[in-house]
Amino acid sequence: MIFLILTSVAIIIEEVKTPISKWLYYYDVYFVTGVFIIEYLLRLWVYNDVHKIIIAEYEESLFLERPFDTKRVLKEIVKKKLEYILSPLAIIDLLAILPSYRELRILRIFVLFRVFKLLRYSQNISHFFQVLASKKIELLTLLMLVAFTILVSGISIYVFEEQHNPHINTLYDAFYWALVTISTVGYGDIAPVTHEGRTITMIIILVGVGLISFATSIIVSAFSEKLNEIRENRIIHTAKKLDNYYVICGFTHMAQLLAKRFKREGIDFLIIDSDAEVVERALAEGYLAICEDATQADAFRHINFDHVKAVMALTQTDMHNIYICLNIRSFSKECFIISNAVDPNAHKKLKLAGADYIISPYITAGFFAAKIIDEPIAIEAINDILIARKNALCEQVEVIKGSFLEGKKVGEINFDRYKLILLGIVKTEESLPGEKFYHKFIFNPDDDVILEVGDILVVMGYTVSIANFKSLVIESSLKHGKKA
Amino acid sequence: MAKKHKILLFGFGRYGEQIAKNLALDGHHVAIAASSKEELKTASKDGFEDLYVVDIQNDTQLTDLVLDKDFSHIFCSFDDEEKNIYLTITFRSLFRHIPIIAICESKETERKLRLAGATRVIDTMVAAANRLYYIVEKPAVAEAIDEILFRDKSIVFEEIEIPKGSFLDGVNIKDIAFSKKYKIIVIGLVDKELGNRFIFVTRGINHKIDAGDVLVVVGKKDDIENFKKLLGVKP
Repeated sequence: MIFLILTSVAIIIEEVKTPISKWLYYYDVYFVTGVFIIEYLLRLWVYNDVHKIIIAEYEESLFLERPFDTKRVLKEIVKKKLEYILSPLAIIDLLAILPSYRELRILRIFVLFRVFKLLRYSQNISHFFQVLASKKIELLTLLMLVAFTILVSGISIYVFEEQHNPHINTLYDAFYWALVTISTVGYGDIAPVTHEGRTITMIIILVGVGLISFATSIIVSAFSEKLNEIRENRIIHTAKKLDNYYVICGFTHMAQLLAKRFKREGIDFLIIDSDAEVVERALAEGYLAICEDATQADAFRHINFDHVKAVMALTQTDMHNIYICLNIRSFSKECFIISNAVDPNAHKKLKLAGADYIISPYITAGFFAAKIIDEPIAIEAINDILIARKNALCEQVEVIKGSFLEGKKVGEINFDRYKLILLGIVKTEESLPGEKFYHKFIFNPDDDVILEVGDILVVMGYTVSIANFKSLVIESSLKHGKKA
Repeated sequence: MAKKHKILLFGFGRYGEQIAKNLALDGHHVAIAASSKEELKTASKDGFEDLYVVDIQNDTQLTDLVLDKDFSHIFCSFDDEEKNIYLTITFRSLFRHIPIIAICESKETERKLRLAGATRVIDTMVAAANRLYYIVEKPAVAEAIDEILFRDKSIVFEEIEIPKGSFLDGVNIKDIAFSKKYKIIVIGLVDKELGNRFIFVTRGINHKIDAGDVLVVVGKKDDIENFKKLLGVKP
C-alpha cells in the first residue's frame, strides 16, 4: 500500500516537467486507483454488520407483532454507511481516488491526499490525533479567538489602508496580512504604511504572541497528559508482536533478578506492576513494562495468552498473588502460572486459584540452608551452576529424532570428549497421567541404558562445550533427515 | 549424613522457620534464639525444644550462650537483613573462627555480610529467581536438581578430602573412570596447588590429585560410602 502511494506521488512529480510513459500512466490510473477503490469499498463493507440491523429489526417486529419494515431497515443501513462515508478518514480515502479523473487539473493536487492515506497505516499519527481530540474544546476556543482577531484586524486594516497601500486591494489581502502578522511569521510583502495601520499592527503582534503561546501550551499539556498512555500503548503494541514470552506480575526484588536473567538469556518478557514508580524503574532498565493492576481483568485485555509461555505472580502478598492467579485463569485455562507464596498456608489456596507451580524464597532458602552446613563447596558449586556465574552451566539436551544420540547406549557416548558431565537422564513416561512435567529422573545412568527420542540428557559443563554439543546433536539429526 | 552439628539459629520468622525445619530434618541439633517470646512460641509449636530469648545487643549474653552449649555453627536468619548484618559482625568480633551462615535478600547486603565476616551467605532472592528461571526454561534441569538435592535422599553431594597415601594421591583425575568404576560423578575439585578455589572438572584440565585436595562428588549414598572406604577416609 505504502509502495503504491509513493509511486503515485513520484509519478505526479515527474509529470510536472516531462510527459510520462503510457504504461506508467495506466499503472497510476487503473492499478493504483483500482486498489484504492477496492480498499474503500471493503472498508465501507466491514464498517458495520448489516445482518445485525436486519436481525434486530426482525426480532423487534416479531416481538411487537408488526410487519417487517424493509424501508426502516434500509434507512438504518444507509444511515450507518453514510456515517462512515462522512468520517474524515473515509473522506481522505475518497479524495485519494478522485485524481484519476485527470481532465480536471485542480484534482491533481488531491494525489497528495494519497500521502494522507499513509497516516491511516501508521499508529503514531492516530495517537497524535487522539491527543488533539482530547483537547477539542480548548482548540476550538483558540480557533474562534484567532478567527475573531483576524476578522477585526483584517477589516480595520482594509478600512484604513485600502486607499493608501498599493498592496492591499481586497479584503482577501487584508485577511492574508492579518494572519501572517498574527502568526509572527511576517513575510513583509504587505506592510502597513499609515499610522493607524501601524498601530493596529503593533496591537495584533502582541495578541499574536499571546495566541501562539496559548496554542503551544494547549498542545504540550495535551501531550504530557497523554504521554504515559501513548507509551503504554506502544509497549502493548510491541508486546503483541512478541511470541512465546513471559508475563511477570509485580516487579519485586525477585522479579528484578529474574528479569536480569531473562534479559541475559535473550528471553522476552512483559512486566506488569500497579506502582507507576516501579514501572518507571523497569522501563529505565530497558524492560517492557506497563502500569496496570494485575488483579483487575482490565490489565490483561490486550494480552493474547496463546503467545504467553507462562505468567508469574511475584507480588509480595499472597492475597494479590491469589487474585492474579484467579484473574488469569478467567482468561486462559491452559496458561502456565507460577506464583510466589509468602505464607506456607497460602500454597493450597494458590493451587486452588489455579497456580501450576509455587515458588517461595523462604522454602528455597530453607533447602539451601540445610545443605550448606554439611556441604558448603557442593552448594556453592550448585549455586554457580544455577546462576551461571562461572560459565559453568547445567543444561538439558533433548535426544532429537535422527541425531547420533538416538538408540545409543549411554556407555557408547564419550561425554568426556565433549568435556561434559552427564548428571542423569529424564525419561518421559506417557503412562503417568495427571503429571504435567517430565518424570522419571535417572541419576548417573548405567552404561547400557538406551537413549530414546524425547529423552532429555541433563549435562553439566562450560558454556562453550554445551553449545558445541548441542549443535552437534542438531547437525547430526539434520544430516539424517537429508539422507532419508 | 556425616556429622551432626549443634546449630544456633537466630530468628524464627519466615526464613528461620523453614531453615530450622530443614536443618532438623537432616538430623542436626537446632537451638533457636529470638528476641521475642512470640517467635519462640511458634517455634515450640513446631516441636523445637532448645529455645532462648536473647537480646542481640547484649554481647556477654551471646558469648555465654555459645560457650555454655558449645554450638558449632551460627545461623543468622532474621527476616530483617540489618539484624543479620549486626549479628554477624557481633559474633565475628566475639569468636574469630566460628562458622557463621547468614541469609540476605540483596546483593548489597550480601557484600556487607561478607565484609562483616560471614562464612557463607545465602542470597535467597537470587536462589529463588534462578530456580524460577530453570523451572520455566529448563524444566529437566530443575527436575534433576530437585531430585538430587532435595527429593531423593539417597543421592547426596559430598566433599571428600583426599587422605595422604590413598590410591588417588598423585594420580591424574582423567585416568580414573569414577562414574563407571565407583558409580559416582566427580563435579569438581579444590586443587590446593592452584589455590583455594573450586574448579569444575569440565574445564578439561587434567588435574593431578594430591593429598589435601577436596573432591566434590555426587552419587548414591552407599556408593559414596564405599568409595570413601576404599580411599581410607575416616568416618
